[in-house]
Amino acid sequence: MNKWSFPLVLLIAPALVMAGGAPTNSGSVPAEVTEGRQIYEQYCAACHGWQGEGAADWNKPDEKGEMPPPPHDETGHTWRHSDAMLFRMIAEGWRHPFNKTDRLTMPAFEDILTDQEIQSVINYLKTLWTEDQRRYQQNESQE
Amino acid sequence: MRAMVSRLNSAVSGLFLFAFVAVMPTLVQAQSVNEGQSVRALTTDSSGALLVLRQSGLFALDSQNTTEIPLPPSDSGAQPRSMAKGADGSLYLSGPGLGIWRYDEASKRWQSLNDTLPDLGVTAIAAHATQAKTLYAYLGASGMFRSRNGGAEWVKVDSGPREPVQAFLHSDMPGSMESGWLFAGTTRGVARSMDCFCFWGDAGELRGTVSAIDYDPSAPENVYAVIEGQLHHSSDGGETWAGLEIPQAVTALTFSPSEGLVVGTKNGELLSRNASGEWVPVYE
Repeated sequence: MNKWSFPLVLLIAPALVMAGGAPTNSGSVPAEVTEGRQIYEQYCAACHGWQGEGAADWNKPDEKGEMPPPPHDETGHTWRHSDAMLFRMIAEGWRHPFNKTDRLTMPAFEDILTDQEIQSVINYLKTLWTEDQRRYQQNESQE
Repeated sequence: MRAMVSRLNSAVSGLFLFAFVAVMPTLVQAQSVNEGQSVRALTTDSSGALLVLRQSGLFALDSQNTTEIPLPPSDSGAQPRSMAKGADGSLYLSGPGLGIWRYDEASKRWQSLNDTLPDLGVTAIAAHATQAKTLYAYLGASGMFRSRNGGAEWVKVDSGPREPVQAFLHSDMPGSMESGWLFAGTTRGVARSMDCFCFWGDAGELRGTVSAIDYDPSAPENVYAVIEGQLHHSSDGGETWAGLEIPQAVTALTFSPSEGLVVGTKNGELLSRNASGEWVPVYE
């Protein structure tokens, strides 16, 4: 990210979050959602896309035999996981069991982000989903 | 006295004749149910007995006895087709026009689990490998449903793979983001998804209409699928497949605690492998 893009993100993030249907009644964006977007932009967007759109052909193994980074928006499956599972994925990382390589394709962030920062990212991701998807994910989190 | 003896004689003869007429059809049926009738589905009950679904009915089979289990009440068009064993040993039966039913062994009665299903067009069911209350059902055009309370409430969770599902399996194979994996036998081959329903992808390159699928609970990477009577085995969770030689066309399969892999055939036989790896009739 160059030196101009981060302030730009701060400027347009609230508008994007609103467009994504942020769960707020007052119209203001919760601080942790804004923080989550900033962290997402810094650590996640390079692989998962600036709008959470994921890699092209994310649901097929790439030339290295690895599953590419999936979308986090409404076209992906992030909304199918509980808060606890999403937290674990971000903290501990993930390797698809059928990848042909041994590395963690999703790196672990537990030594880079605080628990609060991970939770903020999850809260931001929720703004990328539909209302139905948010409801589904809320149920999963309560199971 | 002589008249009395004669009357007693004819009464006893009549009783024998009545008993013979009453019991004979049952004996004939019991003998013929296992002969020549293709096996539709197989599973085991909580005691390990084989449960065999044929056109003529459902039978529990162990080394000693064969007992018929009456099927649940249904319309004439209902087609019992799929069975699943819950993590607690419960038996589930489903089929188009039948919906889903659970058998209560204590009361010997079937309980309908159809109250919250949108229709009865269930073509395949699966029971979670370790969570007794979690069930999965595929209803064709209506998609995939999950219940987490033993069938009291069904929720649509997914549309399922692109091709229609003929056979369904939940496995506790390691590596899932959630609690296991779902394998769906479709008209194109085997589709696989983690049980979060994250996405359905091809499990290897096995192609054709899958009519039955199961896995080895003691070695979960071992998955078995039947395509047009041919049995196929994967030892790596569905990544690669190899055909298994078997003398008859296979129509159903299950894992028995005592017999290991058991297959039902088009000819109605039940086969398992002996110590030498040869296919032999079960319980003979």
